[in-house]
Amino acid sequence: MNDREIFGKLAELAKQGIPVCLATIVETAGSTPREIGAKMLVGADGWTFGSVGGGCGEHQVKSAALRCLLVSGKPKLLEVDLTDDLGTRGGDVCGGKMWIFIEKIDGP
Amino acid sequence: MSIAEHLTDLIDKGKTVCLVTVIQSDRPEFPPGAKVLFLPDGSIGGTVPLGELTEPLAQLAHAALACKKKQLTDLAPGLRVFIDMLAPEARLLICGAGHIAVPLALFAREVGFSVTVLDDRPDFANTSRFPGCEVLVEDFAPALRRLPLGSDTYAAVITRGHEHDFECLLEILPKETAYVGLIGSRRRVEFVKLELRKRGIPSARLDLLYTPIGLPIGAESPAEIALCIAAELVATRRLGKEAARGVQGERRVGP
Repeated sequence: MNDREIFGKLAELAKQGIPVCLATIVETAGSTPREIGAKMLVGADGWTFGSVGGGCGEHQVKSAALRCLLVSGKPKLLEVDLTDDLGTRGGDVCGGKMWIFIEKIDGP
Repeated sequence: MSIAEHLTDLIDKGKTVCLVTVIQSDRPEFPPGAKVLFLPDGSIGGTVPLGELTEPLAQLAHAALACKKKQLTDLAPGLRVFIDMLAPEARLLICGAGHIAVPLALFAREVGFSVTVLDDRPDFANTSRFPGCEVLVEDFAPALRRLPLGSDTYAAVITRGHEHDFECLLEILPKETAYVGLIGSRRRVEFVKLELRKRGIPSARLDLLYTPIGLPIGAESPAEIALCIAAELVATRRLGKEAARGVQGERRVGP
């Protein structure tokens, strides 16, 4: 999924008045599953489009995005820690950390 | 028009856009999530008036556009922004629509290239063989003379014969590109290079050719060869021209 497809989908949803969350990796340290600038959209029903790396890290992003979308409405900078040794807590073993900016995009 | 629509429109027009988003801020006039767009020609769009930050932000965006770097940075005390760079898809131009071209187009689309296929044979160059690609049924040289190439164009020259390879490279090599790969045995490749030299293509341009094409993974079948070419395209796009050659280097040692 490239940026053109992400913003194309965002534009399409904005036109229909459907609010979604945009999650963007803005900073990384160490090994991470995706690069700075990778993006994912999250809809109110849990629908996602694009990816910020998959696995449990992405699940954290999805949860935070749903909170932003349905509860707070406020942008959030989320830290995702992937330094879990051997994945004992849930498989996040890339070894690095990433910071993801989550924001609600409301439409036109 | 929403900012997403505006961005999509600009990317489709082939523009590279710098998108600045406020991430953390203690200034109420620049709330987190506020966005500003910068184009290479210096024009500005977005959701907030910038006031005294117009100049520093424009400088930052200008520098970012020059080096195409995405980064989190402090614009002013208490104002952290993310500089994103949105560029049109890199384009792969496949010269020759034979058996390798089909899986190559498929793999290249999958890893984010927009693909153009060129061949003079309608039986080979057609949209049923190349779904999702731009297909041109034309003679190689005139088509290549007309097509705009540039720093985001990757060319794979895999025609059915060295005379067509020669014809393609004569048009492609003088122009700026991100990558030019040429398929063929060492003998065929040397012959084509020799002919190009005779026609006045400087050695410096010939040295830019990636040949033998593709990363050395022992590929034999058309699909395997397509995969090793796609891998080389990714290496060039992600690591840069020089580093991608380093990945190739090991194969070049030897007889």
